[in-house]
Amino acid sequence: MPTTTVQTFTALLTVMVIAFTAVVIGCRVVAGRSATATAVLDAIAPIADGLGAAIAAGCMAGSLYFSEVAHYLPCTLCWYQRIAMYPLAVILTIAAFRRDHGMRLYVVAIAALGAMVSTYHWFLERFPSLDSGACSASIPCEFIWFEKFGFVTLPLMAFTGFAAIINLVTLDRPRNAAFNEEI
Amino acid sequence: MATNNKRPARATPTPVPTNPGGRSRSTWIAIIGVLALIALAAVIAIVSTGDDSNSTARQPTVSTGSTGGTGSTGSSPAAIEETRPVTVTGTALPSFPESGTDPALGVVAPTVAGASFDGAPVSIQPGQPTLVVFLAHWCPHCQREMPLLVKWNSAGQVPAGLQVIGVATSTTSDRPNYPPSKWLRNGGWPWPMMADSSDTAAGVAFGLTSFPYFVMLDKAGKVLWRTSGEIEITALTKMITDSLAAG
Repeated sequence: MPTTTVQTFTALLTVMVIAFTAVVIGCRVVAGRSATATAVLDAIAPIADGLGAAIAAGCMAGSLYFSEVAHYLPCTLCWYQRIAMYPLAVILTIAAFRRDHGMRLYVVAIAALGAMVSTYHWFLERFPSLDSGACSASIPCEFIWFEKFGFVTLPLMAFTGFAAIINLVTLDRPRNAAFNEEI
Repeated sequence: MATNNKRPARATPTPVPTNPGGRSRSTWIAIIGVLALIALAAVIAIVSTGDDSNSTARQPTVSTGSTGGTGSTGSSPAAIEETRPVTVTGTALPSFPESGTDPALGVVAPTVAGASFDGAPVSIQPGQPTLVVFLAHWCPHCQREMPLLVKWNSAGQVPAGLQVIGVATSTTSDRPNYPPSKWLRNGGWPWPMMADSSDTAAGVAFGLTSFPYFVMLDKAGKVLWRTSGEIEITALTKMITDSLAAG
């Protein structure tokens, strides 16, 4: 499969996740006043951890594809984001299978750190002067490997993943389930 | 005093109760919807990029002729090569340090002989004060610096007697803004431009570690200073005139 196809596929998924995250946030805002929003959240909540795990695993698979198959060498900031994302894929997958929602605090902390790095990386791509003003001859962080739809780059993909994970794992569980959470 | 060091027994996490009847209908709809969206993205990606499968490998050469300072001014179109063989004579300069004193100051730079994109000979050798400018087509800082240098020339601010030679280095076909010959031609690069070899021999010979990279040589070929990163034209002009006056 050509690399451009994978670029487009991952960029489309990113846009979909952005839209999904926006819808979920919107539903959370109006949940108390809208039965529809509450119903949407109740439909998503039981699979929220699984969705988070799928997003983290997808991000991990994507980053491995672009580095190992497409040979896009990860820069320093890319590595920091990987350090945050890869454990999330493992933690969320195990948590989803065990239905263990006690991981919420750890996941949010890791994802928030990753999101901060992604944000800085994306801004660095847009405004290279934020950095030293020079591109490293090896792997500069300002370098944009590819861009889709005018704004989707690798750091934005990572940020979208982190933000969606935070949004999903902080969803309230189904209201009819008297569950016991330890946070 | 007796203390109770016994830690309280850790409560076993209580699993979240699930819907006794399995997942609800709306949850299944959500799952199916997610899978459908993933499939839709895959189909769109395959359909929209299907025609690109044969064009992803960019060609290293283009058949356009050259204009401006990036090559010769011969009347017949010459084959454009984005990288050219480079011959280095002499000892390579030490790598440009991130901080501290530059160990290359006063060291005679090696002579580098190569060619422009269209094959016209370009060499960096002693003879007159020379500013060597290393640019990478994919580097956003180089993309910002190049127009400033062009404007520097068109405004007549280049110090008299200074020779400027560009080196298009670290050229990679799968990186943005490729090919560099087109970028520099469209940008109006006015000075000779050497196409560095695929293994960046010219860059290595001058101790390149980052872009854009400037090396100022006196007429004997000794390094007056080296600097890396975007630089304002007024500051660049001052650095050149000061170093030439001191030399």
